[in-house]
Amino acid sequence: MSEWQPVFVVLGVALAGVALLYAAGRWLAGPAEPAPAGAFAGGLAPAEHAASRFHVRWYAVAMVFLAFDMEMLFMYPWAVVVAEVGAAAVVEMFVFLGILLAGVGYAWREGAFRWA
Amino acid sequence: MAEAAPLWWALALPPVLAVAAAATALAAAPAGHGVAPLRELARRRRRTVAADAPLATLGAVLLPLAAVSGAVVLPLGFRSVSDLAVGVVWFNAMAALAWPAVWLAGWGPNSALSLIGGYRFLAQGLAYEVPHMLALTTAALGAGSLRVGAVVEAQRGLWFVTWMPVAFAVHLLSAAAMAFWGPFDRPVGRDVAGGAAGELGGADRLSFLGGRWLLLVVAAGMAVPLFLGGGHGPLLPAWCWTLVKTAAVLAALLWLRRRLPAVRMDRFAAVAWTVVTPLAVAQALVVAVVVLGR
Amino acid sequence: MGVRAALRRRAVARPAVLLAAVPGGTPSRLAVERAVRAAGWPLVEGPAAADLLVVAGRPAPGAAGWWDELYDRLPGPRARVSVAEPEHAARALSAGRDLLRAAGGAAARPARPSGRHGGPGPGGPVVAGPVVAGPVSDHLPLAERGDDRDGLRLDVLRLPLGPVLLDWPAGLVLRLALQGDVVVSATMDPPSPAPAAGGPPFWDEPWLRAARGEPVARAAAARRLCAAHLDSVGRLLGVAGWAALAGSAHRLRDGLLTGADPAAVRRGARSLVRRGERSLTARWMLRGLGRLPTALARRAGVTGPALAAGGDAYDRFRCWLAEIERSAGLLTAPGLLGAGERVGPRGRLGGGRPPSAALLDVLPRLVEGSEFGAARLVVASLDPDLDELSRAAAHG
Repeated sequence: MSEWQPVFVVLGVALAGVALLYAAGRWLAGPAEPAPAGAFAGGLAPAEHAASRFHVRWYAVAMVFLAFDMEMLFMYPWAVVVAEVGAAAVVEMFVFLGILLAGVGYAWREGAFRWA
Repeated sequence: MAEAAPLWWALALPPVLAVAAAATALAAAPAGHGVAPLRELARRRRRTVAADAPLATLGAVLLPLAAVSGAVVLPLGFRSVSDLAVGVVWFNAMAALAWPAVWLAGWGPNSALSLIGGYRFLAQGLAYEVPHMLALTTAALGAGSLRVGAVVEAQRGLWFVTWMPVAFAVHLLSAAAMAFWGPFDRPVGRDVAGGAAGELGGADRLSFLGGRWLLLVVAAGMAVPLFLGGGHGPLLPAWCWTLVKTAAVLAALLWLRRRLPAVRMDRFAAVAWTVVTPLAVAQALVVAVVVLGR
Repeated sequence: MGVRAALRRRAVARPAVLLAAVPGGTPSRLAVERAVRAAGWPLVEGPAAADLLVVAGRPAPGAAGWWDELYDRLPGPRARVSVAEPEHAARALSAGRDLLRAAGGAAARPARPSGRHGGPGPGGPVVAGPVVAGPVSDHLPLAERGDDRDGLRLDVLRLPLGPVLLDWPAGLVLRLALQGDVVVSATMDPPSPAPAAGGPPFWDEPWLRAARGEPVARAAAARRLCAAHLDSVGRLLGVAGWAALAGSAHRLRDGLLTGADPAAVRRGARSLVRRGERSLTARWMLRGLGRLPTALARRAGVTGPALAAGGDAYDRFRCWLAEIERSAGLLTAPGLLGAGERVGPRGRLGGGRPPSAALLDVLPRLVEGSEFGAARLVVASLDPDLDELSRAAAHG
């Protein structure tokens, strides 16, 4: 666990630094309470709350990403053992990646990467 | 394997990184437009109508924390604050924290343009993250270890950049994209009036934008142990080589910004998936075959 | 207190400027941009990052409350100045900095009573300029749902965009309906009439004067034309996120307007045009945006570069670049402008409608269906000049 000890020290120092930043800002900038303001889009008052259900048109890309992201979890430990396991590890991994890339090709043909 | 650094390195790391980030920001700004932390700090924080202020602040604070945490595995010469056994994954995980950070900063203020900026970063992440992870894996594959110190050690003779140039290029591209810098700055772009940073004022703003600079420095610094041989090099001491190489990578990223207009994700995503990702996979395959042959 | 006051004064040594240009205030806007660049101050995108609000031009009477509201969005310490005459720009900026410095010693602005809390907050004196805007209300309606082009029923967010944005036509207000970051519909507010005191639209001035029979040197007209296109290109590049090249365009424009040597301008223009033309990324990012074919443009009454380009935003960008190089070659042309030569930077002048009116007519159609960033690029690639319209509105 000792290799993690410095990580926590760094995190603690960084946190203290950010806290110091906010304290300095408060000392320097006057009233502690944040200034109330209207949202800005050129100067006119917004007609509605901006925090609406935002239509993410790239959700199909997110699905493709998720497939790859899960795969990457296997790829990190795989990278360590390739030399030991040998050719079988390489073949299996790249067949898997090939299948995923075929999926990417299909998604591309279906227009999943064009959303605007 | 790298020798352990004394604990005071851990205390010194955040301030040293802050200085490096400030120096980079200064070098990046055209004359007279130097970053002015004092100017930001002397401004009041602000809260927009019906904002989720804690979320926005969380986003602003998370960014520098993630960047600094990721930097613990960065070796100066051959020693890092902590040479974690899963160093490469740790760096990746910390860099990925930029996703929630930028999105929270964009969502919190309840402002349409800031919200658009936040979502732009998620779309950007979907485009750059997979090639980036492939690039990181490729470097780890070449060394047969996820320990950054071991990756540096494996480049004693030949730097990885010479036989995995695609992975190196992808890492540079991703460094700019994860720090929403240069051609990838649309999440905080001018066209959305500052985007995710557009409604942050005072300390929030300084923390968020400072965190962005930190992230750029750390991501650029990571290219050195992964691809540029870390501290290896003739004549100069190892720590000096690390600094020189990091500065060179940063200079390349700053130059990129001057040369290119911004890249919009509705055009770039298709290229990222159909060109960059297959290239990164091919690079990994080449490296895997070389590793088998050794 | 001594240290704190000194730090506060130091913090506003180079204040960040939010520049709000009023229709009809183009000369003042250019003067302020030039003065801000000369002083090395940053121009910022929005109020959150701003210390100093600079109003360029003469705001319409009766709009005072609106300006107070805009000023109210600056977190403070803050100050505001207005620049009605271009020659006062540098003086107004330094006056603004003095206001900020004076404000630095005192406490920052008082917290105003907000809609929720009611009572007045703690605080000191009002820093600079009265604040009379009403309380910030958080009783906004939520976005309603509407049909989406993908056949779904989704939230439609109505958003008034403008008039104070960087690289945005001064005075333009677009009312957008957004689903996600895609513009589903756009309408425009009618342009506000300019105050009677203003002269002719700055960019059209040489041709309008020649049409009235005044002697206007051909070289002076070329200078104005080149500067107008450099201004447009600079704004398009700014929106496109190419700050370095946008900066060169604006420097070149300022040089032209302050009488720079024609040979130097020609050199600068050539290098700028080459860099713009060679950029594959610019082509990749602008291709296919806001397509305005020649037939459609002609039917809508569009003249000038937008008609000549007869295509998308990239074609208009290239057309501007070509015009810049061409007019930079005419900076030493002899002779006077004929009364019949009436083609200004944005199209044919004289006749019933100013050229920007036609550009504004086609604008909503061109932004509908595009992503938000693309919509901004389309607006910047047309770059309508509302000075022309506000004159028309004021006169008839």
